[in-house]
Amino acid sequence: MDDLRMLRDLGGRLEHEPPATLARQRERLVRAGSRRRWFGWMAAGLVAVATVATVTAVAVPALLLGDSQRTVAHPVGGRPAKVTEAMNVLLVGTDKEANRGVPDDPGRTDLIVLLHLPADRKRATAVSIPRDSLVELPTCGPAPARTGLIGSVYGEGGLTCTLQAVESLTDVRIDHMVEVDFAGFARLVDALGGIEVTLKRAVDDPRSKLTLPAGRSLLNGEQAVGYMRLRNYGDGSDVARIRRQQILVAAMVRKAKEVLADPDRLRRFVSVVAESVTTDSALDLERMIAIAETLEGRDLKLVTVPWGPHPADPNRIAWKQPDAERLFASLR
Amino acid sequence: MITQPATRDADAALISASLTEPEAFAELFDRYSGMLYRYVSRRLGPGPTAEDLVGETFLVAFSRRRSYDLAHPDARPWLFGILTKLVSRHHRTEAARYRALLRAPVDPDVESPADRVAAGVTAQATRPRLAGALAALPAKDRDVLLLVAWGDLTYEEAARALGIPIGTVRSRLNRGRRKVRAALGDTNPMLGEE
Repeated sequence: MDDLRMLRDLGGRLEHEPPATLARQRERLVRAGSRRRWFGWMAAGLVAVATVATVTAVAVPALLLGDSQRTVAHPVGGRPAKVTEAMNVLLVGTDKEANRGVPDDPGRTDLIVLLHLPADRKRATAVSIPRDSLVELPTCGPAPARTGLIGSVYGEGGLTCTLQAVESLTDVRIDHMVEVDFAGFARLVDALGGIEVTLKRAVDDPRSKLTLPAGRSLLNGEQAVGYMRLRNYGDGSDVARIRRQQILVAAMVRKAKEVLADPDRLRRFVSVVAESVTTDSALDLERMIAIAETLEGRDLKLVTVPWGPHPADPNRIAWKQPDAERLFASLR
Repeated sequence: MITQPATRDADAALISASLTEPEAFAELFDRYSGMLYRYVSRRLGPGPTAEDLVGETFLVAFSRRRSYDLAHPDARPWLFGILTKLVSRHHRTEAARYRALLRAPVDPDVESPADRVAAGVTAQATRPRLAGALAALPAKDRDVLLLVAWGDLTYEEAARALGIPIGTVRSRLNRGRRKVRAALGDTNPMLGEE
């Protein structure tokens, strides 16, 4: 028996038949086969980007999500009725790398964006919800109804409870949810080849490990995360931070449009997006592509829930009424 | 080996068609994904990683289909070449898989007693040594050896897969086989150097 034959014999022993799940890889290929789908995916990337651009500096305990089944369940029980064909997607940015956050600041979300597509799908609005909003939270799982920070819900009840809280507060029916973490965000920025921002004054912030000169800078993924997490810059507020995030999103959208023109970069970006997001189980790839295609080529309007300092605690945020309610009504 | 129907188009024709109709490329997946999965399952073990590498191979192939040399009707070497590069990112997994065989023997043989007398015993007894030799081979030599032994590629096809001259394929293969034989005890002087 010669060596090659023995090697073949060993190979035969080690071999396994392809599983049925290999068909998923075929779907992956078929999706790649359509140019239109590529554009869709690209725009799905923008959804993810809009999500993570709202990520803040607060640590969130690691969410126990498997790599293969990155989906979460919708809440059960009383929810706002779906009255129109409008679609609302809850986008949540988190920091799953617990050691990167502040040790004595356990589990709050990093922020929350409600992406609204009206029934005619002609424009899109992304509403940032400040995570420091002090609001009436509904019961969810073991947590009782209480007054608390909306950003704290994620740490206690995850994405599903966050969705329930937002629905209860806004009376807006949410159809889907998407989650992205810091690491995923950094990967997205790097896949875009970095993003350019213009700063009024130089930054040297040891907490976010960011040093940048005044004027224009090209940020890599890590620096972009640092920029979003900056606290002692501008007026140091949550809202100033959200404004920076929105600037970042606008810069990313500009950059992403360049990527469209280059198939190799596009392909890389798309595969990064697929690895970087978690969604609800009803939001399959086809659905995500459909949403993304709606956003493609349209301007995303970025707004923040109207707010003011909370009367009980000026470091917290209260939603300004009736303005906030008027905004929510436009999303139903 | 299952014979394909005579009417089947050459792989090159499919690749050419996929330039205008991307869906045509899926046919290539249907032809070869099983073959590639079996190959990668030998080297890295079964599971999601193996599935992902097969999927990735076709995505890479799809994105490079414009540069495929249509003079080659058979796309297998091209696909194996892409897969080999992807497998190399998992060299630690691969080495661990072979090393595991050093400790625990593979499944017991189910051949008849006669077979066992003839070759089975030898084969079973030498498997750990073979695996040890594979784990110890330099990656480039192992790639060539396994494309020939497990991928059933000819020397010409292996050369095309890896983008190296055929002489290099021969020298790497000989070096690899020499080491494998040494690990087996090299008892048969009739096994030449090609």
